[in-house]
Amino acid sequence: MSDSNAQFTLLKATRLVDGNGGPVAEQVAIMLDGDTISAIGTKETVQAPEGASVNEIDYGDATILPGLVDCHVHVIGIGDGRAGDDLVTLPDEVLTLQAAQNVRKHLYSGVTTVRDCGAKNRTTFLLREAVEMGIVPSPRLILAGRPIAIIGGHLSYFGIQATGPTECRSAVRQLIKEGADFIKVTATGGSTRTSYPTVPSFNIDEFSAITDEAHKFGKHVCAHCTSSGGMVNALDAGIDTMIHGVHKDSDGSDTYRPDIADRLAEQEVFVNPTLGQSLARIRQLEDDPDRALETEDIDTMRRGNEGRMDHVARMRDAGVVMVAGSDSAWANYPMGDFQTEIEAHVMAGMTNMEAIVSATRDSAISCRVDDIVGTLEVGKQADVLVVNGDPTREIAALRNVTDVFLAGERVDRMNFI
Amino acid sequence: MLSVPASETASSDYTLLTADRVFDATGGAPIEHGAVLTRGSEIVAVGTANEVRAPEGASVEHHHYPGATIMPGMVDCHTHNNGFGDGRNGQDLAALDDEILTLQAAGNARRSLFSGVTTIRENGPKNMTMFRIRDAINEGLTIGPRMILCGRPVSIIGGHMGYFGGEVTGEQDCRAMTRQLIKEGADYIKIAATGGSTPSSFPLLPAFNVDELRAVTDEAHKFGKLTATHSTAIKGIINSLDANVDMIIHCVYKEPDNSDNFRVDIAERIGEQDAYVNPTLHVGRARIWSLMQKERESGLSEQDVSDLDETKRELEVRLEDNRRMIEMGVKVITGSDSSWGDYQLGNTVYESELLVDAGYSHLQGVLSVTKWASEALGVNDIVGTLEPGKQADIIVIDGDPTRDIDDLWNVSDVFFMGNKLDRGSGASLNAVRQQPEEF
Repeated sequence: MSDSNAQFTLLKATRLVDGNGGPVAEQVAIMLDGDTISAIGTKETVQAPEGASVNEIDYGDATILPGLVDCHVHVIGIGDGRAGDDLVTLPDEVLTLQAAQNVRKHLYSGVTTVRDCGAKNRTTFLLREAVEMGIVPSPRLILAGRPIAIIGGHLSYFGIQATGPTECRSAVRQLIKEGADFIKVTATGGSTRTSYPTVPSFNIDEFSAITDEAHKFGKHVCAHCTSSGGMVNALDAGIDTMIHGVHKDSDGSDTYRPDIADRLAEQEVFVNPTLGQSLARIRQLEDDPDRALETEDIDTMRRGNEGRMDHVARMRDAGVVMVAGSDSAWANYPMGDFQTEIEAHVMAGMTNMEAIVSATRDSAISCRVDDIVGTLEVGKQADVLVVNGDPTREIAALRNVTDVFLAGERVDRMNFI
Repeated sequence: MLSVPASETASSDYTLLTADRVFDATGGAPIEHGAVLTRGSEIVAVGTANEVRAPEGASVEHHHYPGATIMPGMVDCHTHNNGFGDGRNGQDLAALDDEILTLQAAGNARRSLFSGVTTIRENGPKNMTMFRIRDAINEGLTIGPRMILCGRPVSIIGGHMGYFGGEVTGEQDCRAMTRQLIKEGADYIKIAATGGSTPSSFPLLPAFNVDELRAVTDEAHKFGKLTATHSTAIKGIINSLDANVDMIIHCVYKEPDNSDNFRVDIAERIGEQDAYVNPTLHVGRARIWSLMQKERESGLSEQDVSDLDETKRELEVRLEDNRRMIEMGVKVITGSDSSWGDYQLGNTVYESELLVDAGYSHLQGVLSVTKWASEALGVNDIVGTLEPGKQADIIVIDGDPTRDIDDLWNVSDVFFMGNKLDRGSGASLNAVRQQPEEF
């Protein structure tokens, strides 16, 4: 390591995975010029301009990857099992503070971009302000602000309940005015106590008003869907990312719907299956069997998870693109562990490389930020993750984080201030 | 001496700390080859390494610190956790959203704690922000030092820090505000007895009338809460003493025409009434340093040049005033006033250094930021000294701060409520310290 204030940073390692899914490059070097990737090649070929100051790091038996892109987080969450209905009783200042802790944990764990899919009031917008002021270290933030919900609908306690196309349009405009990068809609109920998870929430005229208005301003729309009826409405309204994407009839039975899968593929709608949420819980219960016996039936959870994974595999066969989004720190899944979601994608049938692509390039495309991040390419932002070992052989190697660079700056992952 | 490997100590009954010296801050010199034994969040025993032992058979986690001094965590009597210490003024700070100020406060709370300050008094935040930090700490979402909070300062309309949300007029509203703050969780009441840097205020004139001030102090004392007044003018100090205030902050001896006039009679009254003085000397020096840095980097405007001269002159005057108060036996204690003005939290030691410049011995300088500070805040029953039964807020200093107060910068470990803190990377800790200038 030479000059840490140098303009150029030259990273070398045994392997490089660029996020596009092609073969692993060997004996690689990548040059960061300020915040931008300026060259990628072999250790021999990549060089700084004559006389330039370079900070060179050779990581040895490590893999250089794009910084991870988690397309589904809830930064105000605590991940200790408390329900959203209870979370929102905390004051906004406390939730913002929790958000700051969460984004820091995610960044230190290798995630350099997050899409927040719903927070209370203005908390995430204020978090972004604090990040821009330099108060809080954070990955890049793609924000929805508050989700749009029906009265009593899922996440309605975060601050927006809209009825009718006019109110839906006004909600979209209000969020965009406040700084929303995309719109999150709850197309069905969910864990919210007053909502109905197997029933569609918005009617199609309301839903279309939301997507039309969002698209008019170049914003994409993500819909929470935990039942097939909601998915059909969301597809009719022309959404961009289907969250959860649960094939479930209104009576609660799990019926895979090939017609919906075909439409998802045709309309090029990304699916964020959020498989990590239940995998994280299952692992917690496995590590603490006494608690499992007390309250939750781990076998039922495993069966449910396997059923979801089977549906995901079938949707992939139908040509649907899956994107990795952890849904942490919702429910029992704390932030700082996006790797569990990626591992769940492997368990659902992806190769390690496919799972990495789902958490980098494809996730970035679904977040509409693939022009600047998601892959390691010359001209893109220097968001880089370095892990020991080879995650294309052993996906758990993604947990061996050695270094994280955000916009070319090495992140001090031991900065706790 | 019982010593066990770290891997087996996670659930030890006791923690034993030994070092070349233990400075318990109870009054005497450091104990050579000293030891402190803690259990849970409490101190069990303090003495020489030979005499302090855990009960037979108990598991003990032992930390030995060669060349170091074990002492109580520092107590800073005056902080502004909403602040940035980047020269911005209070009214611009108050214009920020409460959520932003809460986030800034969370970082500042860690800066204090990691720098060895385990108890702070907060002297002027906006709205509910510091109560929210306390909520978050109680929820286990973040960490910070023990916090003695005022909620918002009580101010006249347009008075100093009125923008933080505590403007009142008349005896009745003063009582009501005091009760409101106590209801919200205030541990003491902060009052702006004169104007200050707030543009709509008058720093050389008293703010509240004595009946209003008395209403606040009476009401606070009734509920067992201490009071402290911001006083940057003689008349404000006199009013504060008339109202039986417990701590005079800044304590600037200035006449309404801005002339300096150290008033021995007032200093004597402060002593007689047993009030504490928190002179906040370094906030001026921090201004001087920041102007000197600006001079080097981009040059100074005419206004800057006159500010620099005036701030240097005032620092000399204030050092001399405090030298006289210290000689008279007035209880002068460390309260940094950071992050106000150009003074950033995590740098409390600079203030204690200046109290040594103002006449304290190095040992007294350490007492001013431990024992005496805890007494000034009314928390000496739980912190401020190392004594059995008190909270295990303990810091480990390389060197001997009772001989050289600058050694307080060399914090090698912080134990808070008995737990050794993971303070993170050296680079992140070093970045907290503001760099001095020579003048």
